[in-house]
Amino acid sequence: MKIKAIAFNTFKEAIRDRILYLLLFFAAVCIVFSRILALLTVGNKVKIIKDVGLASLSFFGVLMAILMGTGLVYKEIDKKTICTLLSKPVRRYQFILGKFFGLILTLFIMLSLMSLVFLGVVFFHTFSIPWEIMISVAFIFLEMCLITSVAILFSCFSTPILSSIFSLSFYLIGHFSWSLETILKKMKPGVGKTLVQILYTFLPDLENFNFKTEVVHHLSIPPQSYFYSTAYGIFYTGFVLLIAILIFKKRDFV
Amino acid sequence: MKKKWLIILLIATCGIFMGLKLQIDQLPQKKIPGSSIIYLPSGKYLKYATFGYSSLMADLIYLWAIQYFSTTTIPNRFQYLDHIFSIVAELDPHYLDPYELGAIIAVYEAKDLELAYKILDRGLKKNPDQWIFPFQAGHYAQMIEKNYKRARKYYKKTMNIEGSPPIARRLYAHAAFKMSDYQTSWNHWREIYKQAETKRIKKIASNHLYRVKATRDIQRIEKALEKFKNHYGHYPQSLSKLVKTGYLESVPKDLDGQSYVYKPETGQVKPPTIPWKR
Amino acid sequence: METALKIADLHKSFQTGFIPKKKKILKGITLEVGKGEIFGYLGPNGAGKTTTLKCILGLIHPDKGEIEVWDHPYFSLKAKEKTGYLPENPYFYDYLTASEFLDFYSQLCPNLKPHNFKKINTLLKIVGLEEASHLQLRKFSRGMLQRVGLAQAILNDPSLVLLDEPLGGLDPIGRKEIRDIILRFKEEGKTVFLCSHIIQDIEMICDKVAILGNGQIINQGKLQDLISEKIQFTEVALSGVSPKELEELGEIYSIHRGRIFLKVFEEEKKRKIIQLVQSRKGTLHSLTPRTETLEDLFVGMVKQT
Repeated sequence: MKIKAIAFNTFKEAIRDRILYLLLFFAAVCIVFSRILALLTVGNKVKIIKDVGLASLSFFGVLMAILMGTGLVYKEIDKKTICTLLSKPVRRYQFILGKFFGLILTLFIMLSLMSLVFLGVVFFHTFSIPWEIMISVAFIFLEMCLITSVAILFSCFSTPILSSIFSLSFYLIGHFSWSLETILKKMKPGVGKTLVQILYTFLPDLENFNFKTEVVHHLSIPPQSYFYSTAYGIFYTGFVLLIAILIFKKRDFV
Repeated sequence: MKKKWLIILLIATCGIFMGLKLQIDQLPQKKIPGSSIIYLPSGKYLKYATFGYSSLMADLIYLWAIQYFSTTTIPNRFQYLDHIFSIVAELDPHYLDPYELGAIIAVYEAKDLELAYKILDRGLKKNPDQWIFPFQAGHYAQMIEKNYKRARKYYKKTMNIEGSPPIARRLYAHAAFKMSDYQTSWNHWREIYKQAETKRIKKIASNHLYRVKATRDIQRIEKALEKFKNHYGHYPQSLSKLVKTGYLESVPKDLDGQSYVYKPETGQVKPPTIPWKR
Repeated sequence: METALKIADLHKSFQTGFIPKKKKILKGITLEVGKGEIFGYLGPNGAGKTTTLKCILGLIHPDKGEIEVWDHPYFSLKAKEKTGYLPENPYFYDYLTASEFLDFYSQLCPNLKPHNFKKINTLLKIVGLEEASHLQLRKFSRGMLQRVGLAQAILNDPSLVLLDEPLGGLDPIGRKEIRDIILRFKEEGKTVFLCSHIIQDIEMICDKVAILGNGQIINQGKLQDLISEKIQFTEVALSGVSPKELEELGEIYSIHRGRIFLKVFEEEKKRKIIQLVQSRKGTLHSLTPRTETLEDLFVGMVKQT
């Protein structure tokens, strides 16, 4: 399949990018450092390690997604490698999807490596592996996929720096969705409220993928939560990719 | 610029700034780094302002708080105790250690018992399954404040939480006794005795039951004695006299079936044995 | 005869600048390329050659007009399966080796078997790169990149090959080799559409030519039809005759080391000069008739617009 071919090519290119390994290094440093941090606490030491670990995975994972994604399409357009590629019998949407899947494969491997370090540190401390933490990691991956699609979208028409800023803004807006919810509660019903309601439903709510606290405290999560969050993630990612495909289709490669 | 001079300049500037750093460290420090955390606003939206990293923030602020509150050189450091620990609770309400530690600091360092109760109450509210919070609060009430009313309230809360240790009930029964609520105390000690799993607990329960009964009986007897004295002007020769004169229905015996020791001269009634020497 | 490529009234404009100002690049291009031809697309820099080429490939969306490749619409997959493209200043994925790169592209063509390294090696042999098949593309010289670009252009054995300045920046040997490869394409029955601003190359290999100037086709047709056989003037180099005597016969443009160089426009006057030299017992060093070259045509036509 053509998408598969482009995906593997993207993967081979992305996995060479040194910035990934720099971020991986920093993530590993943070996770190992959490062990030292845990010494300062009074009480439960493992919680500190788990919290720092999950936060590192989330933070560096999203950073990787943004940094890789924003350069991906832009580089092809800038270096004009895209001209020969699109002259072959490939449809433009296949190119975008190939890039997307190649990148999330790369991110999956990076996240797995970080998780190994994380589980290793926790194991070293407690001599048991907390598999339920991997649920939170899985949702971190889902969030990273969504951010990747946004980064690719912006990369289709903007320079890497601007794309990074836009993608980061998307991430911040996604975690700020609650503020609209609060405003909604205080508004009187009417046209304004309906508009804000629509805005609230449309804007991304990335808190849906945040199970870090629940997992660390072993709180039970209703299974519908998993199902709905996963579905939300998949559909929103699909939506963003469709916009990317549309913009990419209209583009002239001068 | 010649390479030699560049290297000399490099080493010189390096030496200078390292020396300056050592100098700065010597200067008396007015505040500890990160103390601007005390100006963080609290409120239920703080959690969301951390963009999904609220647990981590809770951890970091807690760690910082441990350092901050153990730095004795900071003047007036406990004025923010409530504020800081309420922030940690907002960010991660299920993080249990800060509640306990906050209460400990409040009780032993800040000498503010009300704050300790407040913190532990908050802990229980957010984590209704954690019996440790009312348990600790009960302890503080009993041991430090000697407030048995409060202690009793907390022990009752502890008892009602699943998984709480059986000692909570015993402490409750004891607190009820101290509050002179003998019926409740008796009932609970009965239950404890019935459900006791070890001989030791049974012994303890029976000793307490002995004491409750003894106290109750003695109270009854002494009331009757007073009435007798008021009427007759002197204490009766024996307790059976009280029954004869109708001030007492019957002469109660202690839990073991022994008679109480009565001194007609003083009107004193005492149990024949000390409860825990049985 | 089948038409490999048909363009009808192609228009394209771009919006440039911060305050978008429409700039028309292509103002109605119409041309036809027959099967088996080597078609030269000639024009000065910035005339719109690359733009036209990219429109054919679907990389740029035209404002107006129709393009058909082997009677399929230009954007259809069928058209692309029969097309090969070599861009100007090609650049490919640095970290891949030549054969890995060709293998990747072969996975994108549905009619090709992937991982067919025998075929890839044959291709590399055709373009003269068989020794560099395991060398990373980042280590390729300009000429080598051009060749590997040519290899990927003919990867799927296309019947129409589009080349944008294929001989740019090559040394004379390289240029000869590429020219030979293009001629071989013709022998294999492929149609070649060649963009260039180097007239000598076009003259040497093209059958038909179109000249693009200022967004429009100024002239197109068979090469020999466009260039007339008419002798414009004769360049004469002689010595032994005084310049005064030659004044009426021709235009003297140089006197160097005793030799007089002049342009003679009429046949009559040429005969008179020859007689004059003979009578004065001088020497006729050279007599060169000059016909109109493509360059003259090109310069003349572009100057008109």
